[in-house]
Amino acid sequence: MLCNTNLTSSVTEEKGLDQHLGTEGGVLSYRDALHWTMREALQRHDSVVIMGQGADDHKGIFGSTIGLAEEFGFDRVMDTPLAEEGMTGIAIGAALNGLYPIQTHIRADFSLLAMNQIINLAAKYKYMFGGRFDVPMLIRMIVGRSWGQGAQHSQSLQSLFAHIPGLKVVMPSSSQTILHTYPKIIADYRGPVISFEHRLMYDLNFHVEPVTPNYGDDPFGSYLVRQGDDVTIVATSIMVLEAMRAADHLAKVSGIQSEIIDLHCVSNPDWNLVMQSVEKTGRLIVADTSWKEYGVCAEVCRVVAERNPGCLKKPVVTLAMQPAPCPTAKSLEDLFYPDLRQFVHAIATLVLGSEEHGIQLPDTQSMADVYKRFKGPF
Amino acid sequence: MTSTNLFEELFFQALRIRLVEERIIELYPSDAIQSPVHLSIGQEAVAVGACHALTSNDLLFCTYRSHAFYLAKGGNLNEMFAELYGKVTGCASGKAGSMHLAAPEVGLMGASAVVASTIPHAVGAALAAKQLGKDQVIVGVFGDGATEEGVYHESLNFAALHKLPVIFLCENNELAVHSFRKARQNYEIVEHAQIYGLPVYQITEGYDFVKVSETMAEVIKQVRSGQGPVFVEIQTFRYKEHVGPGEDFACGYRNIQEAQCWKQQDPLNLYPALVESFRPSILQEIDAAVHFAERSSFPSIEELLRDVV
Ligand SMILES: Cc1ncc(C[n+]2csc(CCOP(=O)(O)OP(=O)(O)O)c2C)c(N)n1
Ligand SMILES: [Mg+2]
Repeated sequence: MLCNTNLTSSVTEEKGLDQHLGTEGGVLSYRDALHWTMREALQRHDSVVIMGQGADDHKGIFGSTIGLAEEFGFDRVMDTPLAEEGMTGIAIGAALNGLYPIQTHIRADFSLLAMNQIINLAAKYKYMFGGRFDVPMLIRMIVGRSWGQGAQHSQSLQSLFAHIPGLKVVMPSSSQTILHTYPKIIADYRGPVISFEHRLMYDLNFHVEPVTPNYGDDPFGSYLVRQGDDVTIVATSIMVLEAMRAADHLAKVSGIQSEIIDLHCVSNPDWNLVMQSVEKTGRLIVADTSWKEYGVCAEVCRVVAERNPGCLKKPVVTLAMQPAPCPTAKSLEDLFYPDLRQFVHAIATLVLGSEEHGIQLPDTQSMADVYKRFKGPF
Repeated sequence: MTSTNLFEELFFQALRIRLVEERIIELYPSDAIQSPVHLSIGQEAVAVGACHALTSNDLLFCTYRSHAFYLAKGGNLNEMFAELYGKVTGCASGKAGSMHLAAPEVGLMGASAVVASTIPHAVGAALAAKQLGKDQVIVGVFGDGATEEGVYHESLNFAALHKLPVIFLCENNELAVHSFRKARQNYEIVEHAQIYGLPVYQITEGYDFVKVSETMAEVIKQVRSGQGPVFVEIQTFRYKEHVGPGEDFACGYRNIQEAQCWKQQDPLNLYPALVESFRPSILQEIDAAVHFAERSSFPSIEELLRDVV
């Protein structure tokens, strides 16, 4: 993976994405995929407005909106007052009267100030009025991690929102999933969508397929990202990448073949895909970016328990954050999140039936160090 | 239209709202309406006066106390009663009840039971109107209590900053449930609103629908011409308990003399002959609406999961 140090987009106006990717596909960072989808949305739809604190500044939401205000106008890429509830309500009102607002929260934690508007209003506006209104909008929330983000800049709140009927929640785990889902959501879906983007992935480069005009099928659903017969790993966001690393390591040193499902749309996953895989492998690991309690881990277990608990040969294993607020000190933060070594050990133990599996584990380098392409402050 | 005609027209509408709510009071003990009702009796002139100069293209966002605004904006009476009865023919197929009336076909864009929560919606709709070049005035209606919420302040600031075509309409009945404004607010509403750079209007005779409508006509014209948002505070009086069909003067927290003073100025009490001339046709319409609601069906299971997303 390449290090992307500069903040400007590698996909320039002169050289569009199609050219950039060619017919073979190419390399595109998560940030550039976001930037491309934002720019394309503004270009394609007059109704799109991006609103967020700092959306129009020189850093442009970690590079994902850089230059867009200059290009499309400061009324379409708006800086906002520090008013999370108000701005979410304003986005709802704007959506009710013909705009498509894309809101940004540079940390998901700040969306907690907008819970009233998101949960009491946006999620219910269609149902509560008998289907007479639509609130089409996308709320982008960035999950922080590493460099001392601490308790209030690191939370991954997907289960809070996925709990609420009326909200769609997605967690793009690659540049490809961004290209597949955002344009489709913005063009076709008429309700509120919350997307959790992971800060650690912004600087990562991904190989992506050429962009096809119809951008894939359903933007809500799950992806089978690796096939294998021994164990099913259901993962979200950056844990999909960790699962891939763990699976590659195990395939190399032991021949254990892991099947990996990127849950992606945590509010409406493709449960059939999950069940088919678990029924095939009989073993399930769930790896999520948040806490286990009442979260994605718990929900996947619920569905398996309700649909076909008998298919499990072994109890389910979950990998997620420790049940504490996120600590700041790096020594503690590294313990707070599961690392690759634990991941591989968990898979090996589950598949081979013993902690004494004898399989070589990878080094203990912390996950943040592997993915992080930035130095502080954010 | 001569001013007599305006007076009579507004009188008719205010009376219609009052008679609708009086019918709700009559029906309430039967439990046919199983929805908390926040009555506007005493406050009708605000809605009637405010809506008169709006077109159906202009949008209004309001609160759980919005029977009056629903009717004044032109919402369908049959659908309102059906909604109160929880029937599938209601304006929201029975999913809204009294607190979430809406009639998008005439610009009533919804009502929320969370205090102050629709104020930013009016601002956002005004942002869309401005950006999309729609010739619309947007009105956000709220009570005095709502001005204590943070989102109210966030909304005023943004609207003023971007000069949006929105009218903030505060129905000041001096009460939030059973608590008087003086016990809650260390500011005067219009003085405070002015800080955001909004022109403010204050109407103390909130029973006077002609005065309300004349002031609002001027305000609407001003906002329509693109001069930015305006704040209007209208003093009014809630005759009934906060929620429910009764009165609660006997509970001791409010002064019945004040109510009597207000009622003595209320045009609906001052012109009995006019009331009598309008009443029969209004009652006929209400009878028909109640009949429509009674004969409609309850929503069935296919409605339960419809329109979730
Ligand atoms: C956020 C919120 N807090 C509290 C309540 C409970 N509540 C319902 S109505 C009301 C009073 C609001 O007073 P005001 O805004 O003056 O409106 P009024 O009822 O007088 O029309 C309160 C506190 C609520 N519905 N929402
Ligand atoms: Mg009040």
